[in-house]
Amino acid sequence: MTTEKLRVLGVGYLNARPLWETLRETTDLVLDKPSEISRAIAEGEGDVALMPVAAAATLGGLEIVPDICIGARGKVRSVAIVSERPIEELEHLALDLSSRTSVVLGRLLLERRKLTPKLFGATPEDAIARVQGTTGALLIGDAALDVEARFPHRLDLAEDWMAWTGLPFVFAAWFGVPGRLSAEHVALLAQAKKDGRARIGEIAKDHAARSGLGEGSLRSYLTESIRYDLDEDAVRGLERFYAEAARARLLPKAEVRFAKPSVQVPEEVKPAKRSPSLDTLLARAADGERLSAADGVRLLREGSMFELGFAADAVRKRKHPEGVVTYIVDRNVNYTNVCTTSCRFCAFYRPVGHPEGYVLSREVLGQKLQEVVDAGGVQILLQGGLNPELPITWYEDLFRWMKSEYKLGLHALSPEEIIHLSRLENLSIRQVLERLHAAGLDSVPGGGAEILVDRVRRKIAKAKCTSSEWLGVMRVAHQMGLRSSGTMMYGTVDTMEDRIQHLVKLRDLQDETGGFTAFFCWDYQYEKGTRIQAGENGTHLYLRTQAVARLVLDNFDHVGASWVTQGPAVGQVALRFGADDFGSVMFEENVVSSAGTTFGINADKIEGRIHEAGFKATRRNVRYDWLTEPA
Amino acid sequence: MLDRIREKVRAGERLTFDDGVALFLEPDVLAVGQLANEVREKRHGDRTYFNKNMRLETTNVCVASCLFCSFAKLEEHMPGAHTMSLEDAWKELESRMDDPPSELHVVNGLHPGLPFSYYEDLLRGFKRIHPSIHLKCFTAVEIHFFAQHYGMTHREVLEKLMAAGLDSLPGGGAEIFHPEVRKKISDDKATADEYLEVHRVAHQLGMKTGVTMLYGHIETFAHRVDHMLRVRELQDETGGFQVFIPLAFHPDGNGMKNLPAPTAIDDLRTIAVSRLLLDNVDHIKSYWVASGPDVAQMALRFGADDIDGTIVHETIYKAANTASPGALAYEELVRLIREAGRIPIERDTFYNVVKEHPKAAVPEAALKVKDRERKPRTKLPIAKEVSS
Repeated sequence: MTTEKLRVLGVGYLNARPLWETLRETTDLVLDKPSEISRAIAEGEGDVALMPVAAAATLGGLEIVPDICIGARGKVRSVAIVSERPIEELEHLALDLSSRTSVVLGRLLLERRKLTPKLFGATPEDAIARVQGTTGALLIGDAALDVEARFPHRLDLAEDWMAWTGLPFVFAAWFGVPGRLSAEHVALLAQAKKDGRARIGEIAKDHAARSGLGEGSLRSYLTESIRYDLDEDAVRGLERFYAEAARARLLPKAEVRFAKPSVQVPEEVKPAKRSPSLDTLLARAADGERLSAADGVRLLREGSMFELGFAADAVRKRKHPEGVVTYIVDRNVNYTNVCTTSCRFCAFYRPVGHPEGYVLSREVLGQKLQEVVDAGGVQILLQGGLNPELPITWYEDLFRWMKSEYKLGLHALSPEEIIHLSRLENLSIRQVLERLHAAGLDSVPGGGAEILVDRVRRKIAKAKCTSSEWLGVMRVAHQMGLRSSGTMMYGTVDTMEDRIQHLVKLRDLQDETGGFTAFFCWDYQYEKGTRIQAGENGTHLYLRTQAVARLVLDNFDHVGASWVTQGPAVGQVALRFGADDFGSVMFEENVVSSAGTTFGINADKIEGRIHEAGFKATRRNVRYDWLTEPA
Repeated sequence: MLDRIREKVRAGERLTFDDGVALFLEPDVLAVGQLANEVREKRHGDRTYFNKNMRLETTNVCVASCLFCSFAKLEEHMPGAHTMSLEDAWKELESRMDDPPSELHVVNGLHPGLPFSYYEDLLRGFKRIHPSIHLKCFTAVEIHFFAQHYGMTHREVLEKLMAAGLDSLPGGGAEIFHPEVRKKISDDKATADEYLEVHRVAHQLGMKTGVTMLYGHIETFAHRVDHMLRVRELQDETGGFQVFIPLAFHPDGNGMKNLPAPTAIDDLRTIAVSRLLLDNVDHIKSYWVASGPDVAQMALRFGADDIDGTIVHETIYKAANTASPGALAYEELVRLIREAGRIPIERDTFYNVVKEHPKAAVPEAALKVKDRERKPRTKLPIAKEVSS
């Protein structure tokens, strides 16, 4: 095996540089931020990555390269909570979210001190600017080094970890995809570490020139604070961190498994530590432990329908011990079918100028809304195509009119439409959302997520926003206090790995914002006219997928059964597969009905089905508050 | 309770009436399903049967007036009443001879005005057209009606029809055996004992038969269990039942239209309980026409190992406006079974393998996106429904 083909990824941070500095000459090295590296490994774009240990645990199934890490034995200097007041007095803590490992470490250390400041995400500059009074900041990297002497109170996280556990802390290491690393590759990484440490002087000088930080200070940071050797103590430190994070349900249970370079190991020799049995995994999942992406894929592939159902039902029962299933009376209104994205799976849209294109008039809308009010409905789900002829003022006027005339909840405009408006009007996402919020927007539907893996999105919906754009809209909406749902449409060109990756991305954002109310999924609904062929999906896969989603999305309160797309029979059975919500009594759903799936059942029938599945039923609003006594 | 039943099932012990009722009342329907699935997989593994069959109803004129029926018309001259001539009935089969079914399933109303020779000739004609076709014709209720109407014993009727080509009896007409229910919903046709006696005689004559249960109307769980146990009892005696087929009641256009239809959970539970109680019947069928393809597919994990066939000319459930498509193409049935993670097996009437299809890999990402360039935008589909 030649080393040329090794695809190496690395975080671009200063403290990582000695480990990859010379690899630039010998491999196809790609440098990026941790989230991007984690994505690339998950999507099969790399063989080995220098990545934060928390990201590796979240992916699961990776092997660690021996002897190399980025760690600290005691004070690390570059990861610290800074504040004006003692840490015990902090009420708010701004988090630089760029390193999940440091965030998890920070949360563990706060938990140990029984401190519960309210956490919020921020950029490094914002975080520093917010430090005042009872608001502190968790800073990472240059930002932390930059303000080393600025604030009276500073908790160095690696030092505090050492004080707690007596062990070093490992921030990052090389993680390889099993079977991809040869002994030569491992030797190459070891050599790079040796060569790179010899160049620390140059690296410090270079970084000083770029950052304005002192060269001497940087040199001592890289030679004294950072430890590059993954020795026995460091391994124990990492194992302890994984154990503590799993106990606190901040990370999936992870093991330190060393890479067995493929050329050295005869085939009959199996790795010493085997992955847990499927039963163990199911039991952990049912118990609400955090699952890694690898765990999720394994469950989706190997878990039997019943095993997954029981585990998901156990989670549902723990989160909702009352045995109540909710549903909402609302109406899905598609205000326009004119759309510029031309997604291959969509039978609903019409291009601009098409004779069948429409925009609903106030008169038609008013009639529809009145019908919802008359039927005791509480909400309108308003979505449409990306119609370039409708400016943001059209939406603002519409929302104000709807709010003043009908007093219904307004669950409107999926991220795709928000992004469309921001481009059309040359406004930021935040500006668009703020204006719509001011005009009456209550919450954002999670449609258009499809599969949040760009390789898939490019194939099925080329013109649609990227995964990070979609998540970015939700992040801003959540930060503004708007809640949203999360969805997944699977069964086009996506793999099991893609589906799990999608769920993990939603889970990560939920960790950050807590803004998702519920998750719904459905399979791709084929019909003539859409341009993706039907595959083998079916009821069995739906039930298993929904169950696995319930298990992976440990930080989502609610999972809904999508009876509108799957039919009332599957929807009902799905209530035993982890769902605690039965979606809505819908008046219409043009997008799905264009693809041939139309189901209409009234509230009585919905309640009858909920009862027969063994639950009490109640109506809810978009925030999942009960509107009636469950019966 | 379920734990004790599970132990009994695993030890191969026979379940009691009380066990059956307990299974219907068990809140955890998944646990019941899993146990039934265990039994199903022990018997059949992933094998799941279907056949290339054809259904024909040659007359809907019927002297019986069952409350649940949307199909029968009382008298010949009433609107909608229809009786096929022999020639027309034969033509139906002839029209399928380019891809001939292996089984023809005929079920009729109890027509008071036809000669017995109509039925004999009907069968002889089918065999003339397609000598190797399996004729699964006339429910026990019809056989009993023939015996009364034409003054013969059950045995005589069956022997004459067998001489004309009859190969086996379908299981229809069982409804609910218990008199408390049967009296109310179908008082003027064969009683439970008469129905079972016809099957007993058929079994004695060497025929295999199926047996159904129409559930989800006015019966209780106890009535369903009683029904299954009567089947089990006769099966102990004769061994002639090949398959048990629970049929979901559909309230539309019939005398019980104010009742709600059974929901999917009830359908799946009923399949599961029948798999567990009927330890001496080989096959449990989820009849997709009655329950819809979705429920039938799920039922393949709740105890069912048979999903019926391609069916062409079904009119009985159609009369009750089920949402099921009238006929499922061969490939659709194969897909339905594969999607449930099972092995599709085309069978003959006696469950001999005609063709075994490969099991699906874990379903995922098998789809090909069609080439965008080859599909110009101007060929966009017309949406079925666009709101005003």
